[in-house]
Amino acid sequence: MATGGPMRMSTGPRRMSPDHRLLTLAQWASPGYPTGAFAYSHGLEAAIRAGWVKDAGTLRLWLRALLAHGSARSEAVWLGLGYRAGSAAALEELDALAAAFAATRERLRESRRQGAAFRQVTNAVWGFDLPEVMLPLAFGQAAHRAGIDLAPAAIVFVQAFVANLVSAAVRLVPLGQTEGQQVIASLAAACAALGKVAEAATRDDIFSNAFLSDIAAMQHENLEPRLFQT
Amino acid sequence: MPPRSFGTLRLSAKARGGRSVIDGFRCSGATKVAFPAARQALEAIVVNTAGGVTGGDQFDIEAAAGPGSRMTLTTQAAERAYRSQSGQARIESRLRVAEGAVLHWLPQELILFNGADVARRLSVSLEPGGELLLVEPVVFGRIAMQERLTRARFRDRIEISREGRPLYFDAVDMDGAIDRQLGQAAVAMGARAMASAVLVSARAESLLQPVRRALPGTGGASLLSEDVLVLRLLADDAFFLRKALIPSLEMLAGAALPKSWSL
Repeated sequence: MATGGPMRMSTGPRRMSPDHRLLTLAQWASPGYPTGAFAYSHGLEAAIRAGWVKDAGTLRLWLRALLAHGSARSEAVWLGLGYRAGSAAALEELDALAAAFAATRERLRESRRQGAAFRQVTNAVWGFDLPEVMLPLAFGQAAHRAGIDLAPAAIVFVQAFVANLVSAAVRLVPLGQTEGQQVIASLAAACAALGKVAEAATRDDIFSNAFLSDIAAMQHENLEPRLFQT
Repeated sequence: MPPRSFGTLRLSAKARGGRSVIDGFRCSGATKVAFPAARQALEAIVVNTAGGVTGGDQFDIEAAAGPGSRMTLTTQAAERAYRSQSGQARIESRLRVAEGAVLHWLPQELILFNGADVARRLSVSLEPGGELLLVEPVVFGRIAMQERLTRARFRDRIEISREGRPLYFDAVDMDGAIDRQLGQAAVAMGARAMASAVLVSARAESLLQPVRRALPGTGGASLLSEDVLVLRLLADDAFFLRKALIPSLEMLAGAALPKSWSL
């Protein structure tokens, strides 16, 4: 904001009504929330160039694997850990661990830059004092401070993650908007299953078996020409 | 039920007169070690006399490269993880790399048999200026016998820290019909062999592009920070994995690989 410090909400986070909490969550997960998500394809651009993802069917399977045992599942775990972190120091310690778990340099940048952007706007609008941490940690902690329940925060977050990759695919694959939305809708159950994963999350639950997705993210670093930063 | 096997190894190296020599060495149970004719580095070839691992087994390695020393650890043969009757096979390795030391962890493949249940952890603690190269090749099923992993569990963690701070962590947790999971495009597109490698070295940045050029289309490398290079590679089977891996591994090692790594 051009004038003065951050705007403090007259209603403190814990006093938000259920409707208010739902709208806050929808706002944070919206593609219009300025985290710059549209610039990142999470390596999908390289997977499409390699022919590993080429239509709605292969896109759906690719994303379903990320949700079942890949990076999208890990995002839900990090979100749960960020939600329950009791202090800025605990969040920063988780952030160092999350950075060590990053599969590639571009993945690290993708999550760091979006986390920094999310923190900046969320602190300014809601008067939080979130530290600068990777995106799912920041999102989880913000949800906690707003009194939003963990499971809905996690499933809405991972659906936004999926929707962002579908938007990237719509630009890169001959794939219609309607087909893209069908892909997102068909993954609703897989997204919803991550609510429980986020609630039960411990540090030992971080893993990723989506090897080729990680390899695609590595290959993206040398991809020319490219539309996306990752 | 086969008897439970265990094995332990404690090994440390120190620098003496421009070479690296054994500082401390003790092994027990099914773990034996061969020390081939010394080159510059202390090379240790770990042998599992039990011929493999199965449920209830426990194998532990602790190895330390002392200040300025060079140590290379490898295995005599691929490690077979057999069907587990009950419980999991636990493999724990802890490595320490002191200031100015170089440690290469270059085991041969872990081959998972159908019904295997393996929990493996490799943790490495680095001091400033310590250099590390590690590789972990895994083969999912006895491919030559057309075995498919319809039911198995594989948990694998790599934890590399420097001065107590996490530097590179990786975890895999595959459960159930692993063969079907490997068929998924985002996982392995049907490939049944996978290798991960990590180099922590001042040489990492200059090796990134040469290593990338040496990798096939199912491999990738990334520079996580200025001195941390990671590599991941998929291949149809153990032979193609080695064939694709050896050129980049030689670059990362900056030295000849142990004899066990020849094709």
